[in-house]
Amino acid sequence: MTLFQARNARLALFAAAAMLGLSACGGAGTGNAPSPAGGKQQANAGANAMQDRSYKSDAEKLFVEKCAMCHRDFGMGTVVLARRVEKGQEWLEKRTDLQADFIKTAARAGIGNMPRITRSDVSDAQLDAIAAYLEKAGRK
Amino acid sequence: MNSTAIDTAGIARALRAMGSAIGAQYVFTTEEDRIAYSDHYSADETSHQPLGAVAPATVEEVQAIIRIANEHKVPLWTISRGKNFGYGGSAPVVKGSIVLDLSRMKKIEVDAENGTVLVEPGVSFFDLFDFIQEHKLPLWLSVPGNSWGSVAGNALDRGVGYTTYGDHAARICGLEVVLPDGDLVRTGMGAMSGSPNWQLYKPGYGPSWDTMFCQSNFGVVTKLGLWLMPEPESVLGFDIDVDKPEDLGWLIDTLAPLRRQGIIQQSPSIGNWLRAAATLTLRDEWVEPGKPLTESVITAIRKKFNIGWWGVAVRWYGPLEINEATSRVVEKAFAGKPVMAMRPTRWVKGDAPEGSPATGVPVTYPLANANWFGGRGGHVSYSPVLPVNGALALDQYRRTSALYAEYGMDYHPSFAIGERHMTNVNQLLFNRDDPDMMKRVDSFMRALVKDATAKRYAEYRTHIDYMDLIADTFDFNNHALRRLNERVKDALDPNGILSPGKSGIWPANRREKRS
Repeated sequence: MTLFQARNARLALFAAAAMLGLSACGGAGTGNAPSPAGGKQQANAGANAMQDRSYKSDAEKLFVEKCAMCHRDFGMGTVVLARRVEKGQEWLEKRTDLQADFIKTAARAGIGNMPRITRSDVSDAQLDAIAAYLEKAGRK
Repeated sequence: MNSTAIDTAGIARALRAMGSAIGAQYVFTTEEDRIAYSDHYSADETSHQPLGAVAPATVEEVQAIIRIANEHKVPLWTISRGKNFGYGGSAPVVKGSIVLDLSRMKKIEVDAENGTVLVEPGVSFFDLFDFIQEHKLPLWLSVPGNSWGSVAGNALDRGVGYTTYGDHAARICGLEVVLPDGDLVRTGMGAMSGSPNWQLYKPGYGPSWDTMFCQSNFGVVTKLGLWLMPEPESVLGFDIDVDKPEDLGWLIDTLAPLRRQGIIQQSPSIGNWLRAAATLTLRDEWVEPGKPLTESVITAIRKKFNIGWWGVAVRWYGPLEINEATSRVVEKAFAGKPVMAMRPTRWVKGDAPEGSPATGVPVTYPLANANWFGGRGGHVSYSPVLPVNGALALDQYRRTSALYAEYGMDYHPSFAIGERHMTNVNQLLFNRDDPDMMKRVDSFMRALVKDATAKRYAEYRTHIDYMDLIADTFDFNNHALRRLNERVKDALDPNGILSPGKSGIWPANRREKRS
């Protein structure tokens, strides 16, 4: 089991009104510092599922606001894409093969398990900006 | 299902008027828009397809839309963000309705000192989380399994989370509501203009109206007050796995008194192995398509991911010295019980962020269970409420799993332990690219409801296809509750414009459409 799977195994305890725990076979470190109160410090279930929500540009900010919940760490899209694409390419921001038109079509028409994104949720202008960001992000 | 004759010329006039009121760019009526607002998980997406959507940005714009809808007798279907997957998403009960999409209303007002927030319906759990992080506020969210959705919409639909604030509807404190005639009310202390107590004192004066707008079609909630948990000093708990299906009984009977006495104050959700596995792996990696999951396959999956037949995470929040005592009390309650694993968990203020839904971190990860069959997946939920009792849970497990086997579906249950009840949420996971399976889903759902109804159990929440079916099970005194709901509906919404059919409540002019 990979570290990623091990963390997900714990996170799965939270799945669909479920909670998920860190499996013994993963032994994933949680990054927790020793407790100030002493005593044994254990990994919490699903620890470190908090994704990076940072951004450096307006376009990246839009991506974080509208897409990152599924397409950064521990997002549904990242987890599902990891089963389908070359390793490392499950993160849209690392993809080298994305075309803006494809991104826009996928968002509006839905793809696989991804539901369609309405124009109220993400306007055409916002989607243009996100698509332009993703087209370049992985090729830097 | 409830397709109905709709005055399309009237709707066209109404949409033009709504465009004038809120901006034509916020009226969405292309074929692509109509499909986008359909139920993404449905076998037949056309069955609940709306004619379009309108997306106001302010309460005044909501009022304008409501007035136009009344003038043209146009049915609206209110959504907050439309991410209610498994219950219909953004799709209306009545095909051809106009979706009133509130996702552009995104104002957040936090009262950090009192631990409250006033949100508009477009605010997602991620939006609120980002806001709290940005302002470094010592407040934690309670998040559901899919945190993409609306904070307000989830609370109004009686969604649940994992912390002691997990009964979201119970944490509502004060609403702002546009009534079906366009009037604007604030509930509780908000009824006094300028009150500092709107988000602090729930009852108000005289009758309390907040719960009237939960799972109902009596108004459009434009602002919702919610209590947030002050960041605790520590979170301790246990992740518990048990090895056999029959262990469910004693596990529930061990947790129930702790929950009832308030020693455990969140609702531990006991899920089976598939709840975890459906997000971790693909069915096809273990068994040929169409073949049932045998015990040996289940054992192999459990072994690979080191998961119990059932697993549950229990947590307590607060000062470390109290939590450490709670851990000892809970450990004592489990002494001598045949647990497979009981791992203590611990987070103390000053540690790196714990980073899971147990501490209010939003996730979408659990939605990956829709990929269990590999292709385009989905699910509907079947969620009866039962007394908290191990023997009843075991009986429920046996009857329900037998029905899953009979219909060739994979059993995916959980039992969430409340103070006096438990909610048995079952996912009907399906593969939308398997027409035979999709044909079975409806009859399977109806068989499950029939089975629960015979035990006098009802669902707490349901998909748009089954709102009438479930409303019908509330049959005391020849459906007196329905008569009450209809009298209220007719008094408030004489033109029947707001979300007809929601929770099985039909306005007078569409009552013949009940399925």
